[in-house]
Amino acid sequence: MKSKIRWFSALLALILSLVIGFSFNSNQTQAAKKEAPLKIGMEANYPPYNWTQTTDKNGAVPIDGSKQYANGYDVQIAKIIGKKLHRKVVVEKTEWDGLLPALTSGKIDLIIAGMSPTAERRKAINFSKPYRKSTFVVITSRNGKFAQAKGLNDFKGAKLTAQQGTLHYDLIKQLHGAKREPAMRSFSAMRQSLQSGTIDGYVAEDIEYKSYKTVNPNIVAVNLNKMQGFKVDHDDSITSIGVKKGNTELLNQVNSILNGISNKKRDQLMADAVKEQPQAGGNKKENWFMSIMHRYGSMILGGVGMTLLLALVGTIVGFFIGLLVGIVRTIPTPKSAGKKWGLKIVDWILAVYIEVFRGTPMMVQAAVIYYGIAQLWHLNLNRTVAALVIVSINTGAYLAEVIRGGINATPKGQFEAASAIGMTHSQQMWHIILPQAIRNCLPSITNEFIVNIKDTSVLSIISVSELFFVGTTVASQTFQFFQTYFIISMIYLILTFSITRIFNFIEKKLEGPKNYNLMANQLQVEDPKETGFEHEQ
Amino acid sequence: MNNNNEENILQVQHLQKKYGDHTVLKDISFNINKGEVMTIIGPSGGGKSTMLRCINLLEEPSNGKILFHGENILDPHFNRNTFRSKVGMVFQQFNLFNNKNVLQNCMIGQEMVLGRSKEEAKKVAIENLQKVGMDPFLTAKPQQLSGGQQQRVAIARAISMDPEVLLFDEPTSALDPEMVGEVLNTMQLLAKTGLTMVIVTHEMGFARDVSDQVVFMSDGVITEQGTPQQIFNDPQEEKTKKFLRNFRNNEL
Repeated sequence: MKSKIRWFSALLALILSLVIGFSFNSNQTQAAKKEAPLKIGMEANYPPYNWTQTTDKNGAVPIDGSKQYANGYDVQIAKIIGKKLHRKVVVEKTEWDGLLPALTSGKIDLIIAGMSPTAERRKAINFSKPYRKSTFVVITSRNGKFAQAKGLNDFKGAKLTAQQGTLHYDLIKQLHGAKREPAMRSFSAMRQSLQSGTIDGYVAEDIEYKSYKTVNPNIVAVNLNKMQGFKVDHDDSITSIGVKKGNTELLNQVNSILNGISNKKRDQLMADAVKEQPQAGGNKKENWFMSIMHRYGSMILGGVGMTLLLALVGTIVGFFIGLLVGIVRTIPTPKSAGKKWGLKIVDWILAVYIEVFRGTPMMVQAAVIYYGIAQLWHLNLNRTVAALVIVSINTGAYLAEVIRGGINATPKGQFEAASAIGMTHSQQMWHIILPQAIRNCLPSITNEFIVNIKDTSVLSIISVSELFFVGTTVASQTFQFFQTYFIISMIYLILTFSITRIFNFIEKKLEGPKNYNLMANQLQVEDPKETGFEHEQ
Repeated sequence: MNNNNEENILQVQHLQKKYGDHTVLKDISFNINKGEVMTIIGPSGGGKSTMLRCINLLEEPSNGKILFHGENILDPHFNRNTFRSKVGMVFQQFNLFNNKNVLQNCMIGQEMVLGRSKEEAKKVAIENLQKVGMDPFLTAKPQQLSGGQQQRVAIARAISMDPEVLLFDEPTSALDPEMVGEVLNTMQLLAKTGLTMVIVTHEMGFARDVSDQVVFMSDGVITEQGTPQQIFNDPQEEKTKKFLRNFRNNEL
């Protein structure tokens, strides 16, 4: 028993130090300077506006909570603003759909992400004066049917798409006869689709064309702005900086700083960004595997570490939550009315907890909890901590039912024998029932662990840099989609495979030895000895 | 009356047990004196096991009283766990704790409920395991033992609690015929120590030889009650006669 406790505490200490280590990483950078850092939200995945790189060359800025750096036109603009405000610039790498909630909940100070100030967005946040004016184009392949399109009616039958949640996607409606394919999440995905021929083209800004052309010369841009009848709101053809509503002081500061950046300077910054953005393939003749591992190996390793940390802590903490809930839910109905009602209420609350967390996707829970807490209580949770909490309570909801099942599946005779010698309910649980129930649940717990390793990938919604998130970043920079995701899937497979083996081994160990030692001569065992009993009276 | 009460360790008065509309025990009353061995026989489904399980409250009686040393155990303020530690039970299916070995099975109740030290519990457990001849198997897990061996350990577990009354719920019914003997022997030795025992059994020969009192139960009532001599050799009721006729040829 004691050795078990020691084991557990050692494990807990290990996890605790890991968690503290991880959260410290991000805290230290913040604690280093006196002025609060200027937190900029961007995808860091939309070159040449913004992208991720592994070093700080070309004046890149560190990404909060990771060892990576962001660079691009947006980053350079952000640096100018930061310098004028005497605040250090930190990039908060955030998914496109997460940018607005991150700003309104105060997780970031500014959105500088190539975002257009549409009327709809203006309802939620304020925008600065434009820091970039853009032209809309359809990017299509040089040899394709639509490369020579001259008017809005020349796109009959073209399969077109654009980035999800952007104005670009709505613009397709103006191209009469074009088939609007489902919107895609990122430019890298659209580039890949165009290359593989699943779409005929996509609507984007001229800057996307300039940037893509450097890596793929076989494309052309069909300018939409010049076409007759093409209508676009002024707001939509510009990109602005998003500021939280009510923060007029910061908005005014940003506007006056933008006024000080000349058009020439802006064009120069954009030209640099196009030149410096990540290029497809290396010049060196490495094979694709070596080149990905060489350039992004440490980044991927970090992703593996984060994924393992999330799955391990989530499963262990979730197990204890599940254990507690499972125990409470199997307490027999007490005699006194007060206790009966108390238990009923607690039971009901726990049932709601299980239903809610089993009945909604973890991805949605992550978004609701992470952004919700920040918006409602102005509590800025550390990303990693938030992810750990979400995985834990989600796993807890599943394991609560697994453990309840394990308790109920323990033979009734075990309960009866324990109560027949006068043990209380809690004594029965801790010493007799739970050890058996948990052992029977172990395959399901292993299962949950494996599910966690894979399903933590949905936490990319709150930009936790776990393995999948890292994979997406690498793919969007190398443009080697198949290769990158192939490596990532192999890593997942290796992780789950080794964990299955480890748990099978633990299961075997818990079963204990198959044989036992006889303590004396077996011949004496056949019949009880008559002299063995003493008379009590 | 008062003199009698001092002798009576357990009194069952007008005990009733219903499951919904189905009445299993109709109106059961009997007394057991200290040191007495009482066997309960009768056809299956007659309520024997239910009655026994009511005595240590594994089943909640619907009506009536059960007095232990004159105190009603059904009183809401009665400490049931203390009572249960004084009334041991041996089950048909043994019900040894599967996660504990033989020695631990006999120790855990002593440590948890009686608050004995580990050393003392171990000493008592080994003594009792010696009595049932299971002391060479201290480290064996229940699954590794035969049915008869498991039942002997279960008996050792029960007597390690130093109970005042020991209840047996068909202790040999789940055993292979060749193992019945070893368990009955153990029980017979136990009966001689002066322990109060209530035994539900189908072993008529055993019931005749060890009992002070035999109760014949059928259809939820006590049909006939008396000494082994009266019940086995001179039954009065038709039901008793019919029931015993089935056994007479083989066993008695």
